[in-house]
Amino acid sequence: MTDISAGLKGSYSGNANSLFKLYFKTSLLTVLTLGIYRFWAKTRIRKYIWSSASAGGDTFEYTGTGLEKFLGFLVAVVILGVYLGLVQMVLFYFGLNIFAVEPESVEEAIAQMAAFYLTVLAIMPLWYFARYRARRYKLARTRWRGIRFGAEPAAWGYAIRALGFQLLTIVTLGLLLPLQTFKLEKFVTDRSWYGSAKFHQEGKWTELYPAMKHLFVGAAFVVLAAVIAATDSSIQFALLTMAAGYVWALVGFVYYRIKSFEYLTHNKTLGDQMRFRTAPRTGHVIKIAIFGGLAVGVVVAILFGVIGAILAAVAPGLIAGGGSIGPGIVIVAALYILALITINGLTLSWITQRILGHVIRVTGSPEASELAQIEQREADRGADAEGFADALDVGGAF
Amino acid sequence: MRRPDGPVAAVFFDGRTANRHDVSVTIHWQSPPTLEITGQAKGLPLRWPLGDLRGLSDQSDPDTLVVTRLAPTDDEAPRDPARLIISDPSLRDWIRHSRPNLHRKDVFKGTALKVLGRGAAALVAFGLILFVILPRLADTLAVLIPPEREAALGAATIRQFELFFGDEDGGSLRCDNSKAQAVWDDMATRMAASGGYNGPLTLIVLDHPMVNAFAAPGGHVVFFQGMIDAAETPDELAAVLSHEIGHVAARDPTRLALRSAGTVGILGLIFGDFTGGGAVLILAEQLINASYSREAEAAADVHAFEALTAANIDAAALADLFQRLRKIYGDSDGLIAHFVSHPSLGDRIANARAVGDQLDDPRPVISDADFDIIKATCD
Repeated sequence: MTDISAGLKGSYSGNANSLFKLYFKTSLLTVLTLGIYRFWAKTRIRKYIWSSASAGGDTFEYTGTGLEKFLGFLVAVVILGVYLGLVQMVLFYFGLNIFAVEPESVEEAIAQMAAFYLTVLAIMPLWYFARYRARRYKLARTRWRGIRFGAEPAAWGYAIRALGFQLLTIVTLGLLLPLQTFKLEKFVTDRSWYGSAKFHQEGKWTELYPAMKHLFVGAAFVVLAAVIAATDSSIQFALLTMAAGYVWALVGFVYYRIKSFEYLTHNKTLGDQMRFRTAPRTGHVIKIAIFGGLAVGVVVAILFGVIGAILAAVAPGLIAGGGSIGPGIVIVAALYILALITINGLTLSWITQRILGHVIRVTGSPEASELAQIEQREADRGADAEGFADALDVGGAF
Repeated sequence: MRRPDGPVAAVFFDGRTANRHDVSVTIHWQSPPTLEITGQAKGLPLRWPLGDLRGLSDQSDPDTLVVTRLAPTDDEAPRDPARLIISDPSLRDWIRHSRPNLHRKDVFKGTALKVLGRGAAALVAFGLILFVILPRLADTLAVLIPPEREAALGAATIRQFELFFGDEDGGSLRCDNSKAQAVWDDMATRMAASGGYNGPLTLIVLDHPMVNAFAAPGGHVVFFQGMIDAAETPDELAAVLSHEIGHVAARDPTRLALRSAGTVGILGLIFGDFTGGGAVLILAEQLINASYSREAEAAADVHAFEALTAANIDAAALADLFQRLRKIYGDSDGLIAHFVSHPSLGDRIANARAVGDQLDDPRPVISDADFDIIKATCD
């Protein structure tokens, strides 16, 4: 890492307390406004996280506004409402629907599954479309040293490719996952900008295979378990092998995410020669997830214990009320929502933020002299301001 | 707070290049007061009016203040793209305390109109989808749906109720009493015929103390034992039964099931995935479906009155039942009525009495002996 210290070094200064308080406050406002405040809530969380991250001592800035997200959502949700309504009508016309009816014949089961997958298939292109637009919006609202990031409009091109590569990965049982990872990352990176400088993704997709090694080991365990089960003997041993395979593959997936991120970052360039280094540690990320998860688990147990006790105390009153909506139900529902907000806030500030902080701290660029030539780029009005992503729940914690 | 006088060191990003500039900042007090940024970079010195200073909000580091300037740019907010990073404690705190507009949310001209316009358009679009298109679609589909699928939908609905009441295996709550079932079936057949309904009809009694009965898709009518216990005369049960047959004849359960399937999907899209969103969604769905079903309830009452009159049974039995229930549980007039799927009890009682008065010599629907048999359906 000595090479980074000479250039730009990433650092992260956010703390769990402040982020949790901000999350709790904004989530409460979201519930009280029946969900309308969620656009402002997300924006404020991003402002905090962006301002916690810095490169070479200069912090990032998130310039999005809650209002533009709200307006974008209004447009997107109407388009989606009409589109999904039409899709459902067409499916109905052909006698396919996804009701919670237990299928009684094979044909019914097939029809139900077909309806489900057709609906998913109808949403999938939109989902990828929304994902690219959301990324473009986030880049357009990110600044560092006062200069805007940005991305070119290419959401449909991305959606088509993403669908194709996803399909390839599925039919090859995951063997072509590196192709999917690399090609999509290249598509996105080659259309991303920092000011007047363009990003480039170099490298080869086949070089992501070493990152897959633990996934292969996990898969081998599962195959072995199937062989043991088929040939005879101890079913317990087969199940144990199977469980070991699943855990190995789970950790292997985290390892793949981290190693592929590392490879892709090392092979990115900005402008003519600016390069990047990163060195996140799989063990450390898993440690954060496990210990953070345990800590959240303890809080969950305590919270729901308290709620359970309150419920037990008011339950007789609820039943005597003859099914009408009494104050007891309202109190229990409110406690339940507060507990959920607490859990999500803790997950965000104890787990997500710490993993993000780790990745940012080990990332940087050894050589930053080229920054002097970079100029501002034009503002991107961002049209729907990731309204499609908000309507389809695309995207992660923030 | 002390006014800062001498020049103070700060960092400046000009918003045109990615260079970091070390600058010094001085406050000038001539009118209008300004903040002057001086340094080596191109474009400096700059003077920003103090009233136009705007700070970034929700920042993680409380020790630095990032300021920019109110300016009519093509940015997402009316802000100068340049940024001034102030770490000097006295200047930072002085700006924070003396600038009431530092965190004002400025918007571009015409924003209010845009919000109103898009909000209204979205409301109209969703009003159309929820209250015009979905109900029409559900009405059409309820007629087109094949009978066997409708029956399966009804079985699934009843199964949901059983699960809700803790019957994991299915069937353990059902009261299987062939003697009582024969009386029920006979009564159901007569009430269906007198109401002009000749489709499929299955009567089920569930052993649960809830005072209720409901119709499910595919000609299912479900009574809870609590409802049977609450009835003092057989005519009261006949009235409730006729009301539920009214729903079956109008295919209300199927229509409502189709409607709420669509409503939940659309509402899920609107409310999104925020914490507590599930509760809001359920509440909104209740509100919308209640408004749908109040009309259906009124129509089912009319069907029941006609069927009872045609069978020479006193419709006032329904009024007697409701009056007793009202004494126990109270009425649902006013605001609460919006959350409740039935019309006001007072109106229903008055209507039943008016219909009942038209008969000269009404007869009970079944004998007292038969009534004793069905009272004991779940024993």
